[in-house]
Amino acid sequence: MTAIEFPSQRVSLWYFRIALVLFILQVIMGLWLSINYAFTLPQALVDVFAFNTARSIHTNLLVAWMLLGFMGGTYYILPVECERDLYSTRIAYLQLAIFVLAAVTAVIGFLFRWTRGKPLLEIPFPLNALIVVAALLFIANVAMTIFTAKVRSALQWMLLGGVAFLAVMYLFGMPFYQNLNTDYYYWWWVIHLWVEGAWEVVTASIVAFIIMRVTGVDRKVVEKWLYVETGLFLFTGIVGTGHHYYWIGAPDYWLWWGGVFSALEPLPIVLMVVDTWMHVRERKNPIINPLTWYYIVGLAIYHLVGAGLWGFMHTLPPINYYTHGSQVTVSHGHLAFFGAYGILNLTIFYFAMPRLKNIIKYQDRLGRWGFWIMTIGMFLLGLVFGVAGILQTYLERFLDIGYSTAQITMMFWFRIAFGIGVVFLIGVIITVWHLFTIKPAPDQPAETLSSERGPAAEGI
Amino acid sequence: MTGKAARWIFWIGTLSSAVIFLWMTYDFHRQTPTFAHTDRLTADVIAGKKVWHRYNCNDCHTILGFGGYYAPDMTKAFYRLGPNNIATIVMHPEAVYKNSFRKMPQLGVTQPEIAQLNAFLKWVGEIDNRHWPPQDEKFVKAYYQRAASPQNLSKVDIVMGACGGCHSFQNLGRNVAGSFDDIAKRIAYDRATLIRYMLNPQSVKPGIAMPPQNVTPETAGIIADFILALKVPKEVRQ
Repeated sequence: MTAIEFPSQRVSLWYFRIALVLFILQVIMGLWLSINYAFTLPQALVDVFAFNTARSIHTNLLVAWMLLGFMGGTYYILPVECERDLYSTRIAYLQLAIFVLAAVTAVIGFLFRWTRGKPLLEIPFPLNALIVVAALLFIANVAMTIFTAKVRSALQWMLLGGVAFLAVMYLFGMPFYQNLNTDYYYWWWVIHLWVEGAWEVVTASIVAFIIMRVTGVDRKVVEKWLYVETGLFLFTGIVGTGHHYYWIGAPDYWLWWGGVFSALEPLPIVLMVVDTWMHVRERKNPIINPLTWYYIVGLAIYHLVGAGLWGFMHTLPPINYYTHGSQVTVSHGHLAFFGAYGILNLTIFYFAMPRLKNIIKYQDRLGRWGFWIMTIGMFLLGLVFGVAGILQTYLERFLDIGYSTAQITMMFWFRIAFGIGVVFLIGVIITVWHLFTIKPAPDQPAETLSSERGPAAEGI
Repeated sequence: MTGKAARWIFWIGTLSSAVIFLWMTYDFHRQTPTFAHTDRLTADVIAGKKVWHRYNCNDCHTILGFGGYYAPDMTKAFYRLGPNNIATIVMHPEAVYKNSFRKMPQLGVTQPEIAQLNAFLKWVGEIDNRHWPPQDEKFVKAYYQRAASPQNLSKVDIVMGACGGCHSFQNLGRNVAGSFDDIAKRIAYDRATLIRYMLNPQSVKPGIAMPPQNVTPETAGIIADFILALKVPKEVRQ
């Protein structure tokens, strides 16, 4: 009895492990950032390790563990979807090595101020070149696996399209733009068209796969939803990029196009919640691992709240005029990244990691603690940032009583944020520990795993 | 819904949005010269942008509202602070923010880099971005009012434009290094010493925290006259 069908799926394990370590480091760096707000630090410390360095590490670690999760997840599901092993496991490991080398060098470089100084895309050109090499290897490996497969599915193309879209968009962030407004115009081609474009396509594909596996709902039904959802994601998301162009010095019509399309952005997420709910209700498989189902449903709901609702709140120009570039954005950023992509990665890990260790039913007591501490912790954190943001906006921009007066009130709220952050970190450590040491439950289900591709393959 | 209809939704949705977006991108480039004044993108401005990147300013400060939210937005900083205040803050943050609850790192920015950074921030401030951020609009308006009628430019405007980053006068400026009323009562320098003091404080009073000021000797003269005039007892001034 084996839990994975193709040996090459094993490459994903190292992607997941490294991603989880980076996740912990990212949260620790986040705590340090909150200390910067909450307390007055000595000048000598600020001179050697300033907020900007810590922030670039925090955000780059985020991007790195997200991408590692996506790539590992793709490598895990691709052999099953293609009914063949990966084109090359060597390329997969080589690509991982290059990617991790670039990421580690980048973080060390930041400490010595080796940076491009462009938020979220700080890594210097030589390292960017390495990332591009890793991305090309990844896409080539995925494409070759699909091209040489004997079976065809919509999911394969959606995945390939998503990762290729992701990689192409990254290129727009690489050149030096002389003009700041054009610089930020294309900066959003990376950031926005990632999170509200390419990443959504990858997410939707991976979620579709996992839902198909665990619920046993018919492939045709799942793929139909996948087409409609990604279609709507891209329809609203592409023109919705305009909600970042209100105040950069761009023509007036962006206010309308950006406002209306981005206001529609929650629609596909609502659809995602509905279809997840329907598939879970109409499941053909028994629930073997409740925690994995928690994550699947939690992903849909958190995605809707963090990305959809919190994004909608300040996407319309008259509101955004006051909230743009304030802690309100921080609130939205945390809830959306964790809700849509953090939980997605953890869903992949909880789906794949037990199988990679030949475990059908796993002990989930610790994992449940981790799930609830993280989800509730991050929600509270989002609320605290939100309160801080509304306060900042009101004091600084509405009452116009000055930056410092508004910011000094932040100290109180960030002390609370730090406290919640510590709790969140505990939740993260519990979860990571649980995933690393995942053990079979004492009561294993009687039936063994049949082929993963069958219509009602298995429950999870 | 059939599978075919679902595929149509995908392709029509994606492509229609992409076409609209690409057309608007084309139009953005067509109109950028008007909105961002690309004709004023001098070598100094571009060098200033590189300085902005080199010291990773953007991960603490927002600009056009993007970046770190740890420090004030820099979009209209040129109007809010003026070149001398920017230079003093960037080159001597440990002095300016000595008593502040939040610090700025000493980055080792050089004199020529400061000039380029100021050119860049001036250019950014001129981007026609629909009067964002709201809290800085008053500084922009005041700047253009002063520029429109330089003959009406009062001494207070000149003095606070150069010194307001640290010193206060009446309800203007910041209270980092004391108000000019108090300073006027305290100091015993003559005009020439005061000018020398502004340009190189250490040469007059070794160990003083005030950094050297990036003002012309003429401006320093105006500032010195202004401060010395405050020495007159209040009753007489009325």
